[in-house]
Amino acid sequence: MTAEAGTLRPGVTARTGAVILSILQRTGEGVQLLVVACGQVRFGATDRERLVAQLARIGSDTLPIAATLSLFVGMVLVVQSADQLRNVSQTVLGPIVGIAMTKEMGPVMMGFLLAGRVGSSIAAELGSMAVYDEISALRTMDIDPVRFLVTPRVIASAVALPILVLYADFIGILGGAAVVAIDPAIHLSVSEYFARMFEWVKLSDLFVGMVKGAVFGVVAAVVPCTFGLRTRGGAEGIAASTTAAVVWSFVWILVLDFLIVRLSFALP
Amino acid sequence: MSDRGVAVVLDGVRRCYGDHEVLAGVDLAVRPGELVAIVGQSGQGKSVLLRQIVGLERPDAGRIVVGGLPLERYLALAADDKPFRIAMVFQGAALLASLTVADNVALRLREHGQMAPAEIADRVRRALDQVELSGAEQKLPGDLSGGMRKRAAIARALAIDPELILYDEPTADLDPLLTEQIGELIARIRSGRGSTQVIVTHNLALARSIADRVAVLDGGRIVECLPAAELAASHHPLTREFLRAAGLGGSP
Repeated sequence: MTAEAGTLRPGVTARTGAVILSILQRTGEGVQLLVVACGQVRFGATDRERLVAQLARIGSDTLPIAATLSLFVGMVLVVQSADQLRNVSQTVLGPIVGIAMTKEMGPVMMGFLLAGRVGSSIAAELGSMAVYDEISALRTMDIDPVRFLVTPRVIASAVALPILVLYADFIGILGGAAVVAIDPAIHLSVSEYFARMFEWVKLSDLFVGMVKGAVFGVVAAVVPCTFGLRTRGGAEGIAASTTAAVVWSFVWILVLDFLIVRLSFALP
Repeated sequence: MSDRGVAVVLDGVRRCYGDHEVLAGVDLAVRPGELVAIVGQSGQGKSVLLRQIVGLERPDAGRIVVGGLPLERYLALAADDKPFRIAMVFQGAALLASLTVADNVALRLREHGQMAPAEIADRVRRALDQVELSGAEQKLPGDLSGGMRKRAAIARALAIDPELILYDEPTADLDPLLTEQIGELIARIRSGRGSTQVIVTHNLALARSIADRVAVLDGGRIVECLPAAELAASHHPLTREFLRAAGLGGSP
């Protein structure tokens, strides 16, 4: 090949390497941001006004959509499972909904909801602040942007998501019960639905779900903050950061979900 | 004029982005209480220079001394231990969009120091009075005009009672009337507080009317720095070109 080096298109290996390096770099930045934010937790926890504002935005403002999602997921779980079990026994519907909601659907669904709804707005907000010099302005005022912007969001998200998970579990299970009560294709009483569920669902299932919620809450705040703070290049850069923040939050939630599940089964 | 200002010394400041050398050895000495305007064409590194002075970026080479302290030593000090304060007014004002004007102005005072809320409120009121923004305390930045945003940003700078104020294009995107108002405001700060002020601007007429000295940045260096009153007598080709373009004389 006679083309100059500068005009050569990078090969597949080079491009793959660049992508891997970029992923590792973002991951490193995210971990570093989390460490710095954790170091500022005592300030974040005492900064009641900002913390309450973030809790309201992340927690209470999410309740209506969380209820809607959970209700229908619980209902769909019952309808789908009942159809599969129509020739066997529908008495396991309660345990299916209970275990699915507490261990998986509740935490993952709420994690996705938070990453999509709140994470995107965090990335866009911080991205806009980076592009329009507001982050620089904070620095010139000796205000640490991590303490001021990141720490309250991480604390609020880590506190709010386990509560949202419990809330989603409750609503999802109630949604399933509603279908059990009114669907003529289901031959099971509501009391039996709950009785069998309480036999199977243990407190430890709720606990694992809440631990997942706290971890996913951290992810849903740290990943958008990482992408938001490093935004460059105007409106296009803000849009790119927002998209990347949501996508990578989803990816990390699923990766960490697998690790937590695997770890929970490995424990005695 | 009071003697509140601090001296700023730039000695061979260099800054590269990749292969592109934006600042190629800037030398400049600003005296305490002096108002220096840095003019130059777009892309010559005027804003980059301000970001070096305020510590948002570090030079690749060279030395910056503010108030007798090397900048890196000043930046390493805790906010409450700093012997003087530096404020910067950004080109786009950079007010925090989620905070009201009053909260923006009070931000640093609330975050640092032991000032009582009543004292902070008083400082905010005085700063807003100075920039003629009384009554706009509870407005959000999005509700302000461009000129009001700039004035709010100047109030935010004034609230901390700084010894050095840096302005990045304070009159960009403003009509001639607002430009004049901002110019008068900066001149008032100079005569009232005596803070050292460095202004980066394209507006040569503004620079000439309010600055003590005008420095011309070209090719990453200060190619000329002369008293504003002597600007018209400059023989430097770029300065002459600027004067001509601004309708202030200069050779064709």
